[in-house]
Order: sequence, then structure tokens, then C-alpha cells
Amino acid sequence: MKRNPLTLIIGLLLIIVFALLLFVFQVRQSQVAVVTTFGNPTRPITKPGAYLKWPWPIQKVWWFDQRVQNFEDRLTEGLTRDSFNLLTSVYVGWKVSDPAAFFPRFAGSADPIAAAEALLDQWLGTAKTAVVGRHPLGDFLTTTDNGANFIAIENEILASIQSQLRTNNFGLEIEFLGIKRLQLPESVSQSVFERMTSERKVLADRFQYEGEAEAQRIRSDAERRAAEVLANAQGQATQIKGQGEAEAAKSLKVFQQNPELASFIFRLSALEGSLKERSVLIFDQHTPPFDLFRGVSTNLLNK
Amino acid sequence: MNDHDHPHNGLPEPVPPPETPVDAGSQALSEALRSSFAIVKFVMVLLVLVFLASGFFTVGPQERAIILRFGKPVGEGEKALLGPGLHWSFPYPIDENIKVSIAGLQHVGSTVGWYAVTPEQMLAGIEPPAGTTLNPIVDGYALTGDTNIIHTRATLTYRINDPIRYVFSFVNASNAVQSAQDNALLYVASRFKVDDILTRDIAGFQEAVRRRATQLVENQDLGVVVEQCVVQSSPPRQLKDAFANVLKAEVMRSKVLNEARSYENQITNKAGADAESLVNLAQSDRARLVRDMSAQAERFQEILPQYQDHPALFGQQRLTETLGRVLTNVQDKIFLAESPDGNRKELRLLLNREVPKPKTEDTKP
Repeated sequence: MKRNPLTLIIGLLLIIVFALLLFVFQVRQSQVAVVTTFGNPTRPITKPGAYLKWPWPIQKVWWFDQRVQNFEDRLTEGLTRDSFNLLTSVYVGWKVSDPAAFFPRFAGSADPIAAAEALLDQWLGTAKTAVVGRHPLGDFLTTTDNGANFIAIENEILASIQSQLRTNNFGLEIEFLGIKRLQLPESVSQSVFERMTSERKVLADRFQYEGEAEAQRIRSDAERRAAEVLANAQGQATQIKGQGEAEAAKSLKVFQQNPELASFIFRLSALEGSLKERSVLIFDQHTPPFDLFRGVSTNLLNK
Repeated sequence: MNDHDHPHNGLPEPVPPPETPVDAGSQALSEALRSSFAIVKFVMVLLVLVFLASGFFTVGPQERAIILRFGKPVGEGEKALLGPGLHWSFPYPIDENIKVSIAGLQHVGSTVGWYAVTPEQMLAGIEPPAGTTLNPIVDGYALTGDTNIIHTRATLTYRINDPIRYVFSFVNASNAVQSAQDNALLYVASRFKVDDILTRDIAGFQEAVRRRATQLVENQDLGVVVEQCVVQSSPPRQLKDAFANVLKAEVMRSKVLNEARSYENQITNKAGADAESLVNLAQSDRARLVRDMSAQAERFQEILPQYQDHPALFGQQRLTETLGRVLTNVQDKIFLAESPDGNRKELRLLLNREVPKPKTEDTKP
């Protein structure tokens, strides 16, 4: 009595689970899917969740990764408008946007994502060659613009690839695109090196001569200024001395009262000044006060 | 099959037990079946419990978790993120929990502008030998705005700020961040001069790369925030010496200039000091001259009356007094007396102040 409804419920549950497994499928957040009915895509699903379907072999579900794929294309050589060889490679963020359009083109291959990327690579190669050919090298490499040309080139490649995608509706969508490598052919790199070497040489020489010339200028300028300062000071000093002499000359009229005495006094003080130290003086008896000796010596001789 | 038989056999069992007594054998069999059914029941309940319990999961401190119910995130935006702790969801296939590491900072390195280095060389810190050319397939480099070749690489540090977008919208978001970094390096290098990148404006170059990378990451909505960008640049290995020479010349230039400037300082300062002392000397000369003259004039004024009283005597007195004072100061005094015959004596002088002592002693006797 008790076991009967319980087993019934269990049995029913098992049947429901079994049916769900057959009739329901999930699409995860990161996926898109397409449902095929007898091999024909009939229902694209781009939103995550649980969905119903007829069991195999009537309907079948194909899932695709819907996240943004990173793809970097081959390095391809292109000629710029001013005839420089330039190797470029771009990175692309793309995703499956329309599983119904994507399915018939790529589902047959073992790796649909790789197959789509091979196609992108081909288109990108063409687009890059065309865009590079429309621009001079100066649009890629320049120190004068603010980067507008570089971005314009990227946008042109993007626009070209997007118009390709629109005409061939393969269910792909490009999210972003940017230049990833920008290089020169191997043979050109050597001539660039040669040019750079000579540029370096010029620069080194310039620094050296510039330094020497500038140092010379600084030195001679300093010497000139020093001489100027000294000359000015000399002039000033002479002027000051002159002022002093003029001032001193005012006292001369005092001496004017008796020039004879004045000259005598000047001579006396000059004599005193000149014989201040370590001098040898030779006299004879005519010099006062040694004229005193005259009498004394004769007296001595007489004795 | 036994399970199915059992309920059929068991069904009539409880209803008519007293009327139809069963033999001991079949009773023992039904006992055994009943107990085994109880075990099966217990195991089933246990299985259900284990199934439900398997929905518990823990989220670590550096993680966030997202529950997908039938493939669709539960909750919107920030609310969908489960923080650290114990959580429960329905087990697969109803729910699925996905853990995202938001562990602090992530790093990506960009080597698109660097020459080919093997990991062993990288570890040992040695450079591979340089050929005369750069093969674009193997060696990376960047072209500068003035069409030079340089090597430059960068490490970008970023933080995941939108884990849902980071995990569910990109196959490999860190790869996309790296591409943005590569592009930023090339783009900025193509706008800079080689000397600015290598020496003059290293910080400016790094800042420009960081700005461009940040902008790209935002435009592409990668769900990350750029925290830091460290750029390292070097001239091509082939031209190392040429670049080093320029650097040397630049250093030499500043050395020569510094020397010239210090010479300039020295000689202008000296000239200034000399000039000042010249002026000072002149000034003191002037003061002395004026003072002396006025003092002499004053004295003259004083002695003038005395002179006028006795001119000859005064003169004599002054002269003698002065001579006396002078003669005490004079070191050697030589007196030449007149010879008796009235002729002048001849005197020979050896004009040498410091007369050696022994000589004088020799000449004396």
C-alpha cells in the first residue's frame, strides 16, 4: 500500500528525466547554437538558456563558441604609396554573431573556428595591401601628427574587411582590429642600420664640437667680464686717489705762508722716512753734527 | 527483476497473513527480499542527498563565482557575482558554477618589439649574438617616427573589474590585453623620435604607451583596468657601440661645459674680489693722504711763529734733532775723517748687506 505511490513517483521522475534529456538542450552564456532539422539549419539561438527540440535523428544541435576570438594574421609585405616595402600584421577580435549563417559555411570542417580564421587571413591580406598602398610611409611613421593617420589606417583596414563580411554573409563579426607588427624587409633593415650608424656619428661629433665651442665661449666671456670688472675698479681707484689729492691740496695754502720753512720741513721728514731701517750712512766731517769731529781728530793727530 | 517481483509477492502478503500461512521457506525468502528492498531505498535516499549536497561549493577570498542555470547567469551584473564563502546551487545539469580568479593583479608582457630570445638566454640574462640584419619573421622591433629601428618591450599590469565580461565574452582576454599592449607600443614608437624613446623622454614614452593601452582596453571593453605599464627600450644590438658613443659624447660635453662654468665662476669671483680690494685700498690711501696733509698743515701752523722768531736757530735745531733721531736708527755708520794732506780718502764698498762673518774677521787684523 505504502510502496506503490512511491515507486510510481520514482518511475515517473525517471521518465521525466529521460524525456528531458531527449527533448531539452542548454546553450551556455558563452555559446550560440543552431538547431538543424534533418540537416537543414532551422533555428539559430543566440541567447543562453534551456530550449526544447525534437530528439535525434529529427533535430540536432550545433554549438559554437560565441566569445571573442583573438586572431593574428600573417606578416604580409605591401608597398606604400611612396614605394617603401612595409611588412604588416594585424590582430583581430572576432566572433560568431549569426550561427545560422555561420553553420552552412563552416560546420563541415573539423575546426570551424580555424576555417573561419583562414578565410579572415586571406581577406585581411588583401585589405592590408590595398590600404598600405594608399598611404605614404610618413602616415605610419611621423613625429609631427598626433597619431590620427595611424588610427585612420587601422580604421580603413577594418572598414574594408567589414564590407567584405557584409557582402559574404558568413555570420562573422569583427569587434576590434589593430596593427600588431610593423616591420621592414630583412634587406632593408641593414640599410637602415647603416643610415642610423652615420646619424649616430654625426650626433656624437656634434655633441663634442658643440661642447668645446660652448666651453670656449663661456671661458672667454668670463675672462672678458673679469677684465672689465678689474678695469672699472682701477679707474675707480684712480679717481678716488685723485679726489684725495685734490682734497689734500687744499692744505697747501697753509704752507704758502712760508714756502722756505715748508720745504725744509718736508725735506726733514723725507730724510727721516728714508733712513728708517737697515741703512748704511757714510759721512765726512763736513756733515753736521759730525763737523764736531774735525777738531777732535786734529787734536788726536797732534798728540 | 527481483525488485519488480518483490512488490507483487509482497502485496498480498500483509493483507492475508493469518488466513494463508506460508511455509517457513517462502517466509524466510520474503523476509530477505524485504530487508534488501529497505537497503535499496536507503541507498537511493542517500544518493539523492549526496546529489543535493554536491551543490555546495566554496569561493575563496581571491575568487568570485557565477551560477549558470541552464546556461544562463543567475542575476544581473554585480548581483550575479558570489563573494567568498560557502554557497549552494543545484548540481549539474541544472546549475553550473564557474569560479573566476580576480586574484590581485595580472601581468602580460609584450615582446613584439624585442629580438628573439630563448627562455634559457632570458634566464641567464645574455643576449643572442646579433647578425647584420633583422629577420622580421623571428626578430621583433619597432619603427620610430624618424624611421629608426629600436627594440622595446613592456609589461602591463591589470586588474579584472568585470569578471563576467572577462570570462564569458573572450576566449582569451589576457591575449587580447597583450595585443592591445603590442599595438600601443608600435603606435607610440611610430610617433616618437629615437632619442626621446631611449634617453631624453623615457617617462613620456612610457606614459604615452600606458595611455594608449588603457584607451584600447577600454574601447574593446575587455573588463579590465590597467594599473601599471613598464616599458623597456634599447637600441639594436648591432648599433650598440654607435649609440654608446653618442651617449659618451653627450656626457663629455656636459663635463667640458661644467669645467668651463666652474672656471667662469672662479675668475669672475676673483676679479670681483680684486676689484673690491683695489677700491678699498684707494679709499684708504685717500683718507691717509688727506689726514697726513691736514696734520702737517696743522703742525706747520704751530711752528711757523717759532721759526719767524729765530729762523736760523730753529733750522739748526730741527736739523740736528732729526739727524740724531735718524742716526740712532741707522744700522752702520761709517765716518771718514779727512786725511792730513787734505786729499779725500778713497772708499771701496762691497755692496752686499750680509757680509759673511769669517771674512770680516780676516780683514780686521
